[in-house]
Amino acid sequence: MSDLKTTKLFAYHNSKNAKIINFAGWSMPFSYEGTLKEHNEIRNNSGFFDVSHMGRIELKYEQIQEISSLICSEIVSLPDDKALYTIFTHENGNAIDDVIFWKFKNRFILICNASNTQKIENHLEVNSISFKNITSETSLIAVQGPNAINKLSQKYTIPESFHTFSDDDIFYARTGYTGEDGIEFMIPNQDLDDFVNYLETLDIKPCGLGARDTLRLEASLPLYGFELTDSISPVEAGLKWTVTNTSNYKGKSVIENQILTGERKYLKKFIFKGKQIPRTGTKAISGNVNGVVTSGNISPVLGHPIGFVLFDSKPPSDLVEFDIRGNLVEGNLINKRFLN
Amino acid sequence: MSDTKYLKTHEWYKIEGNTITVGISDFAQGELGDIVFVTLPQVGEEFSKGDAMVEVEATKTVAEAYAPMNCKILEVNSSLDVEPEIINNDPVGQGWMVKAEILDLDDSGMTYSEYESFIS
Repeated sequence: MSDLKTTKLFAYHNSKNAKIINFAGWSMPFSYEGTLKEHNEIRNNSGFFDVSHMGRIELKYEQIQEISSLICSEIVSLPDDKALYTIFTHENGNAIDDVIFWKFKNRFILICNASNTQKIENHLEVNSISFKNITSETSLIAVQGPNAINKLSQKYTIPESFHTFSDDDIFYARTGYTGEDGIEFMIPNQDLDDFVNYLETLDIKPCGLGARDTLRLEASLPLYGFELTDSISPVEAGLKWTVTNTSNYKGKSVIENQILTGERKYLKKFIFKGKQIPRTGTKAISGNVNGVVTSGNISPVLGHPIGFVLFDSKPPSDLVEFDIRGNLVEGNLINKRFLN
Repeated sequence: MSDTKYLKTHEWYKIEGNTITVGISDFAQGELGDIVFVTLPQVGEEFSKGDAMVEVEATKTVAEAYAPMNCKILEVNSSLDVEPEIINNDPVGQGWMVKAEILDLDDSGMTYSEYESFIS
């Protein structure tokens, strides 16, 4: 346990009786008062997540062409006040990491998954892109929920969706990973206690990574290491909408060929109306096409299991059979989102 | 009534005459996170010691509760079908899972203090 990294809020998490787990080499809060309670608080009101374990990497905008050659989305024309969700791709088209870029007038910041920070740093270095890892100098706090914006607007200028804003030393964007509106703040460590105290005065309470995972799953959002990996491309993961880079980038020809031919793996959403949860690694079959569950859990809003299953090729029907510990059960593949 | 005893697999059981009541420990419910589904056995089903009797699906993971001794199900706590969170709230009381007839008595479980040092 002693080798695990902690965020600047570790003492705070313990003071709130958080259940602590090891996540990507970090000691992080899994839940405070229960995943379902925290999930519902974010869906119906507001809450905040300490996501300071995620990598923050400062880049130089002068190298935008080189950076563009490593990702599948159009970034060169990104305005100074916008955020961009995109994917770093290998030459074979598969995903190195899914990330967010925050662009400001004077700063250009990359936010990557905690599990991939070292991988991204190596990738930038190999491709002669200069960067500075500012993860330990700052904290990252995601405030989310339908009431979040209204509460925060008492003090903060609210940018439009997927836009950024900076105020003195605080940098933020109207982004998130829950399917709800909200803002993700990058805060200098010396201002963190005041910021968290302020959130508490707004009755915005801490939520753990357990709820973050059920929220993102219910919002149909992928998690690197599950829906996206070094052997899954953005198109295979159902993220064709991110493929907007018209210039050349690593893996472009493979990705374009997948779009053209449809010969690829297919990530599909499933619902299952039973009392067993098809979880990560559960074998699935639709017609004669094999698949495996990448993520599965209860949808607290719907009250039944949901998840993603990755098929070797296009499944021929919307019926899927799961092998849950030897018990064969039938679920449905859906195209629309889990929640309306 | 005997004391509540605990197993290394985190079940508790209580013996009353020829009947045992079985559930999972407070430590176990805490490790599982929010319990969302419970699959209970049928009344009349027989289990050998160590057989999986109950399946518990939680937000964090899935777990099974094993039979503490050879037994035959007399009654299941069907309120868990609609309110599985009872196990989180009161695991060793209202959150009991099954009552079963003892077929072969095996009272080799740990006392609470033994279990406490086992989990610490």
